[in-house]
Amino acid sequence: MWDWSGKKLGTGKPSGEKAIEILQVEKVTKNFGNLIALQDVDVVLRKGEILGMIGPNGSGKTTLFNVISGIYTPASGEIRFQGRPITNHKPHMICRLGIARTFQIVQPFGQMNLLENVLIGSMYGRGMPIEAGRNKAEEVLYFVGLKDKMYLTPNEVTTEDRRRLELARALATEPQIILLDEIMAGLTPAEIEEALKLLHEVNKRGIAIFMVEHIMKAVMTISTRIIVLNYGQKIAEGSPKETAENPEVIKAYLGDRYV
Amino acid sequence: MLLQVLLNGVLIGGIYAACAVGFSLIFGVLRIINIVHGEFLMLGAFITYWLFKLYGIDPFFSIPFSFAVLWILGYLLQKYVINRIIEAPEIMSLLLTFGLSLIIANLALIAWKGDYRLVNPEYAGANFRLASLTVPYTRLATSVFAFAAMAGLYLFLKHTDLGRAIKATSQNKDGARLQGVRPATIYSVTFALGAAVTGIAGSLLSMSFSVFPSMGGDYLLFSFFIVVLGGMGHIPGALTGGLILGILQSLSTNFLGAGMTYILIFVLLYIVLIVRPAGIFGKGLVE
Amino acid sequence: MKISSAKLGVSLVLIALAAVVPLGVSGYWLRLFTFIFMWIGLAGSLNLLTGYTGYLDFGHVAFFGIGAYGTGVLMVKLGMPFFPAMFISAILAGLLAVIVGIPTMRLRGAYFAIAMLAFAEAVKQAVLEFDGLTGGGNGLSLPIYTNYQFFYYAMLGTVLLIIGATYWFENSKFGKGLMAIREAELAAEVSGVNTLYCKLIAFGVSAFLAGIIGGIYAYWMTFLYPGDAFSILITMRMIIMAFLGGAGTLLGPIIGATFLATIEEILWAEFKYSYLIIVGFIVVFVVLVLPRGLVGLVRQKARNR
Repeated sequence: MWDWSGKKLGTGKPSGEKAIEILQVEKVTKNFGNLIALQDVDVVLRKGEILGMIGPNGSGKTTLFNVISGIYTPASGEIRFQGRPITNHKPHMICRLGIARTFQIVQPFGQMNLLENVLIGSMYGRGMPIEAGRNKAEEVLYFVGLKDKMYLTPNEVTTEDRRRLELARALATEPQIILLDEIMAGLTPAEIEEALKLLHEVNKRGIAIFMVEHIMKAVMTISTRIIVLNYGQKIAEGSPKETAENPEVIKAYLGDRYV
Repeated sequence: MLLQVLLNGVLIGGIYAACAVGFSLIFGVLRIINIVHGEFLMLGAFITYWLFKLYGIDPFFSIPFSFAVLWILGYLLQKYVINRIIEAPEIMSLLLTFGLSLIIANLALIAWKGDYRLVNPEYAGANFRLASLTVPYTRLATSVFAFAAMAGLYLFLKHTDLGRAIKATSQNKDGARLQGVRPATIYSVTFALGAAVTGIAGSLLSMSFSVFPSMGGDYLLFSFFIVVLGGMGHIPGALTGGLILGILQSLSTNFLGAGMTYILIFVLLYIVLIVRPAGIFGKGLVE
Repeated sequence: MKISSAKLGVSLVLIALAAVVPLGVSGYWLRLFTFIFMWIGLAGSLNLLTGYTGYLDFGHVAFFGIGAYGTGVLMVKLGMPFFPAMFISAILAGLLAVIVGIPTMRLRGAYFAIAMLAFAEAVKQAVLEFDGLTGGGNGLSLPIYTNYQFFYYAMLGTVLLIIGATYWFENSKFGKGLMAIREAELAAEVSGVNTLYCKLIAFGVSAFLAGIIGGIYAYWMTFLYPGDAFSILITMRMIIMAFLGGAGTLLGPIIGATFLATIEEILWAEFKYSYLIIVGFIVVFVVLVLPRGLVGLVRQKARNR
């Protein structure tokens, strides 16, 4: 479906078409015993957009990702992907349907080389047999710039490379939505620039991005829309400019790092 | 008669709960399954036995010794051996504690031979009657002691600084670090505490059951069952699980025969895992 | 890990040698080799589960015992010939594994391990309880068959089967899925791997193979006792052999089993209890110093050269 080998494609965004909602998170609540991690959270993700999610530590962002990707089941609420409910689906089903994710602390398959890591994504996420999956994996590795290191193992490459690997593995599943959990944490400004360019390319291929980020400059630059969580509730939503000027958001965020 | 069977079950259950508490605590905080747990019980039991046999010390007075010895052993083991693999995949801690249990159990076997020993002070078989029930003194006393030990641990965790730090670490390792607590210290102390409490439980066990080097295995399984039912790192849960196990075992032994008990326990474990894997209180082993 | 023609050549030579051994050796050596193959097989069957999914099974002996007792009971009570009896028992073992695995494999690996220990105890108790069928504590007598060369080849054949299965695990899509589960189960799950399903299959296959070995063992020994067939020592040895050699590799169980079985042969008679202590130290040593086992050590040296 998508070509990662570097061939020039169109901008990917349909012009004049009404943007379709491909992910609908409706009144989702999630608690762990007495701790309420998410409360009545509503989120909508449109085709082709880049939605940034910000909020102080512990505000429930990763929990929301875990609920969407099927790792947790919400106490109440519904999640719909392309119109169909996926609230109780198992994570592997959700991946195969078209939602991929990365983890805040990267989770590579340590004993397997980079190619094999991404191969899992193409074989299982996209359902390809081993040979075809290998070709796809190589394409994706080329796209993220790791092709020349593909026979190394994750602990033989840099932290930044492991982030790219995590992204590559997710992309190999050919998702329509990718959930990125602080993929730029700990990167240098130069690396952040690289990452933003890469994410733009991903988005150009029609993949909607839902990203959690703490690095304000990055997330404000690239996102088409921002939502803000605090203590498990959505407290603001809008364009990056609107959100940055929203007094509620500033209040919640006093003291956060502005890169 | 049913009431007697139930009473026996409750009395034993308290002791089983005390056996499981250390296991539960260690798992709750360090997230490792401590296979040597059974050996801690065995060592506690043997300490009581030898102090009684060689020096005539009453079993109840040997308890501080078990506590102290197992504390030291637990602390050293954690600090110098187990700590090395604390960040490694789970299977490593399983294997490690498994290896340690082999070493300790078989050293004991060589040192003390496989004979079944009994701790039998003069008051051993005595009992009193309450309505139509027979209540053995020793059972009652050890049961009460077991409850007291668990209550003590519970209060310690809730009301002391160290105890609260341990609780914080069990909930969230990084959160605890932010509060200025060093996880490494907490791990050593928790493991030591878990071992020490288990040592006490071993001493209590020795007063009602035979003592022999390979006794640890069964109690390990029991502790596991209790933690599945009652949740990890949760003392009231361990108590409930222990009581249920005790009653179950008593009923089963009386009405179905001793052999069936294991089968029954496993079937129950299996059912609980299917129906409510998070345990009775929802603090179990599955998220 | 595709086989180079050199490795293939060496393997074929070894297999050919193994095939002709019984023709030239005495009873003692024949028996020893058969035992070694049995242990390679047992360690290999455990390796299929533990080495590739990372789930340690402290009750694996249960499947060996089910294979053994199943074969015995079917032959004695129903007069079934050996091969069908063994096969059916092995399938039973595999099915039970899947059934027991469904709730227990949802737990973290560490809990699965102890739940399986409980399972093995329960099965042993069941065998003791239903003594009308199994002979209980008095044991079970199978039909006598003293063609020891038959058992040698049976064990060898099973070992080759297990090696074949391991090779397939190493190189197939399914096998890679298992390894992903072992390395980072959650990441595998969100990358599309149906982790429960894959784990159950690996578990079932591993149990089935252990069951086959159990069946052969039963017929070979002629007498079965619950304490022997379900002994936790068997599980212990399987685990140690697999890890000493290198879990998750093709050669690991072979090396580990051969090494340990040989040591046992030498030490067992002399130092019965010390042997277990030594074994305990080996385990601790492997965990702290050689987590990848002997095979891993060799590979590491090769990489550093």
